[in-house]
Amino acid sequence: MSKNEVTVIDREGSAQTIAWEPEQTLMEALRDNDLPVLASCGGTASCATCHVFVEKEVFDSLGERSEDELELLVEAEGYRECGSRLSCQIGFDSGLSGVTVTLAPED
Amino acid sequence: MVEPGITEPVVIVGAGHAGVAVAAALRTRGWNGRILLIEAEKEIPYERPPLSKDLLKPGAPEQASPLRTEKFYVDKGIERLAGLSVDSIDREGRAILLADGSRQGYYRLVIATGSRARPLSVPGAQLPGVLALRTHDDAVELKRSLMPGTRVAIIGAGYIGLEVAAAAAKIGCDTTVLEFQDRVMSRVTSAPVSRFFERLHQGNGVRFVFGAAVTAVEGSGRVERLLTADGSSYRADVVIAGIGVLPAQDLAEAAGLECRDGILVDDACRTSDPLIYAAGDVTRFTGSFDGTSQRLECIQNALAQAERVAEDITGSPARSPEVPWFWTVQHGVRLQTAGVRHPEDEVIVRGTPAEGKFSVVYLRDGRLAAVDTIAGLADFRPAKKIIASGAQIDPAAAADPAIPLADAVRAPIPVR
Repeated sequence: MSKNEVTVIDREGSAQTIAWEPEQTLMEALRDNDLPVLASCGGTASCATCHVFVEKEVFDSLGERSEDELELLVEAEGYRECGSRLSCQIGFDSGLSGVTVTLAPED
Repeated sequence: MVEPGITEPVVIVGAGHAGVAVAAALRTRGWNGRILLIEAEKEIPYERPPLSKDLLKPGAPEQASPLRTEKFYVDKGIERLAGLSVDSIDREGRAILLADGSRQGYYRLVIATGSRARPLSVPGAQLPGVLALRTHDDAVELKRSLMPGTRVAIIGAGYIGLEVAAAAAKIGCDTTVLEFQDRVMSRVTSAPVSRFFERLHQGNGVRFVFGAAVTAVEGSGRVERLLTADGSSYRADVVIAGIGVLPAQDLAEAAGLECRDGILVDDACRTSDPLIYAAGDVTRFTGSFDGTSQRLECIQNALAQAERVAEDITGSPARSPEVPWFWTVQHGVRLQTAGVRHPEDEVIVRGTPAEGKFSVVYLRDGRLAAVDTIAGLADFRPAKKIIASGAQIDPAAAADPAIPLADAVRAPIPVR
């Protein structure tokens, strides 16, 4: 099995590559690799502290955002109509291995 | 990070949301000494919110979702002792005594024992079929007792009682909620929100009895009925007591730490012993935003206090405090609250409850103190920011859902 990894650009702009274990959401992978993602709701699309920006192609390949997710994101710092996601709502997908995500600014 | 000479671990008692978060946050902040996480339950530490929600859904797996993977603890060098309880604290000897007779020294001790369901204290409360919901085992037992047609009586119309009522109704149980007050969730929300959720439950087949003081549980060998003070009797195959929680403070109390309905902690989550911290449901503290002494039973507080403990142990700078927030989901409708409402706050309904989606804002001295959002989160983040800022709100603007909440903030009064 090839290793699933994702490149993360943190809020200071530095990049690092982390492992993304199957059955983890992207938020869990970020959090378990000590990235500063508070995830205070535990992954239920309630708090928007795991807001990330994804690239356009990745954004298009992911499903629609739920109403709750969208309402939280619209009010979030730096919201991007075609790029903002809550990382807790991005399930593991080996097709996403190798992509780059950027942590959104904190409120 | 570890000073030379530190050999004992940071010992964390309780592996709920707070305890696990303390361990994780210590590593995030560079703590490289030993961390020992001790938990009386055997399971890998798990998420609690789904126990009263998704886990009870028909066909849902009985497994609780783990907070972190097994691999996480190994990778982070977090040692776990599961299925073992702590008997006492030897503060002078800086050690704890475990139920298996062993003794474990600590560099710092963190008490994260959480809360337990307040037991029903009427005659017959010990009968089989009378349940509470706090742990994964409780949830599995409850799930197995809920069948189509089962007569379910729930005592208490708080979050837990109502979430269980929603799950029971969905399964097809004959569901009755008995509540002493005159409306649901009276401790945490205002009447308009209560009325909305009452109608939602009633529309899904749940019956309410308000002003009901349960006086006894009866049955031969198993619960068969509930009696109330007005002489009524309610048939029941299963009774769930959702009458609040008590802080699990026995360990702290026996060790002489200051407790008053919760372990008293300061703004760095230190107890009255500077080497012992406490975090989560078990604590009582002074709220950062309203200045009142409080105990908060929510994940947000558990995680925020865990961060605070890790900051203090590692000497990291403190983050600014987060406005506390809470959520519940009943019949698929989410109620999410930011801030802590007081009963005397001014209540402003924003939107039309009959349309199924609205907010209620609570003003105290003209400032936004709390918000309830129902079936929509658009006001949630703006409200958290406004509450944290202490800004004054124009009540007329706040009442108009067409005006963004952020625009209801009054301009600061110019200083002459």
